[in-house]
Amino acid sequence: MPRRRRLVNTIAVLFCLVWIFPVYWMVNTAFKPRPEVMTATPHFVPEHPTLSNFVTAVTQDQFLVNLRNSVIVVACTVAFSIVLGIFAAAALSRFRFGGRRTIMVVILAVQMLPGTALLIPMFVMFNGLDLLGTYLALVLAYVATVLPFSIWVMRGFFVAIPVEIEEAAHIDGATTWGVLTRVLFPLVAPGVIATGIFSFIAAWNDYLFAYTFMQDQSRYTLPVWLASFTNPYTGTDFGGQMAASVLFSLPVIVFFLIIQRNLVAGMSAGAVKG
Amino acid sequence: MTVVPVTTTVRDAAGAPPAASAPPGPGSRRRRTRAPLWLLSPAGLVLAVVTLAPIGFLLFTSFTDYNQRTLFTGTYHYVGIDQYTELLADSAFWMSLVRTVLFTAAMVAGSVLIGMGVSHLLTRLGRAMRYAVTVVLIVAWAMPNVASSLVWNWLFQPGYGVVNWFLDQLRVFGDTTDLNWAQDPARAYASIWLLIVWQAVPFIALTVNAAETQVPQEYKEAARLDGATELAVYRIVTLNHIRPTLLLVTILSVIWDYNVFNQIWLISRGGPGDATSTLGVYTYKTAFVGFHIGQGAAISVVTTLLLLGLTAVYIRRLLRSGEDL
Repeated sequence: MPRRRRLVNTIAVLFCLVWIFPVYWMVNTAFKPRPEVMTATPHFVPEHPTLSNFVTAVTQDQFLVNLRNSVIVVACTVAFSIVLGIFAAAALSRFRFGGRRTIMVVILAVQMLPGTALLIPMFVMFNGLDLLGTYLALVLAYVATVLPFSIWVMRGFFVAIPVEIEEAAHIDGATTWGVLTRVLFPLVAPGVIATGIFSFIAAWNDYLFAYTFMQDQSRYTLPVWLASFTNPYTGTDFGGQMAASVLFSLPVIVFFLIIQRNLVAGMSAGAVKG
Repeated sequence: MTVVPVTTTVRDAAGAPPAASAPPGPGSRRRRTRAPLWLLSPAGLVLAVVTLAPIGFLLFTSFTDYNQRTLFTGTYHYVGIDQYTELLADSAFWMSLVRTVLFTAAMVAGSVLIGMGVSHLLTRLGRAMRYAVTVVLIVAWAMPNVASSLVWNWLFQPGYGVVNWFLDQLRVFGDTTDLNWAQDPARAYASIWLLIVWQAVPFIALTVNAAETQVPQEYKEAARLDGATELAVYRIVTLNHIRPTLLLVTILSVIWDYNVFNQIWLISRGGPGDATSTLGVYTYKTAFVGFHIGQGAAISVVTTLLLLGLTAVYIRRLLRSGEDL
């Protein structure tokens, strides 16, 4: 049915064009010199491509400071959620004990909370403890949102490991701790990488907590920096903002594409080798 | 807490814990171990501090008159259920609740239906095309929502935005060059709806597609031999198989769309007026623009309670669909 195939392909091509357009427009604008950005008739390709918008973005006085804030907070969040999460995930997947179900329900329920349900009380608590505007405030907020998710995702990886491997190790006389660290952890390494990337993305993208808790330009993280990208004299510098958006989105898009492959590889690599 | 490794398949008739005196020999399948307790306690303690304590605090704050003055002086009063009675008498709250319900319904319907369509499209494509569509989906999905909201502002910019130019070229709506999207309730909704759907479809399409590719071919073949049209095959065979997945992505979409904040805040600030103030935005404005934090906490509690039913359904299904717990 060549006719039908052609129709389906046409629909797919149209879909791709429409769906990728906003991303294309961001990149396209980022490479345009200023006069080409603000035109009545849009230029679909930059006629004189330039890197000047990127230079504008990264030479903003707050950029490096805010980048550093982002990196510190995100790194702490990822480290915390992986170290704490991997042990909890192991406990929830390899053992039976009372209260297990309850813990899992709590873990899942926390993820469904509206942002303000954590934002408001944390704001009140941190205000009382004088923590507003500190890295610690943000890290705690991110761990609250990311850790339950990490436990859940890593638990999935643990569950996928056949029990036979563990039994074999026990028969060989390994302790519970030995089985955990020498058998299970290496096997869930792909899961740890995937979880780490997920945690990175969640913390890297957060706008609500950073915007509310940090309250000072030098304390902002990149999403807040991105949103406050306006020039008081000329209105929003769209070229600069789009270039900044490209820089900000790039690591996340790359990570997403990596995760895709990693998840598949991780699942198929966890098999019992005969 | 008695703990038995998960590998235990044999249970005492009475389900009694294994005798502590049983010496754990090598290969023993029944050792008492405190391992899970040790393994869980670090994460448990942290979660108690960063999630359970705030939720308790949220409830507490909703019974106080915590406001701007409190931020500086630290004084506040216990006001009982006043915040709640005030809230239920407040028409702005009811309006934002209605808005949230309608908006959520529109976004979920849009993203689930388009997502199903794209999922089905993926099953009909050759390898190269399927790869191209998948990459496009992942890129759209991966865009941080702060960045995509800003891109949206640029796309819909009056005077220079490419969307207005495009509508102008269609010559259907007259001169649309200076159409202001954020200043008109219907248009602000339309642009936010497009953004949310654009970002939600990839997750739905790829998740549903994973289920759709599992539908046994022979069922479809049998239906075709019986003379069913492609549409009927989809409706009768495919839909039946992907129903559980559809239900899960729908519930998840409802939860996410109900909680949307960033996109609305960055595109319209909940405006014009209060036209796009859904519950999340309304709560934020109350707590952090007007600094009526006690009132904001009360709205947040009500919002959470309204979601709780759906969350319970989702968790039950997830736990049931998972391996035995």
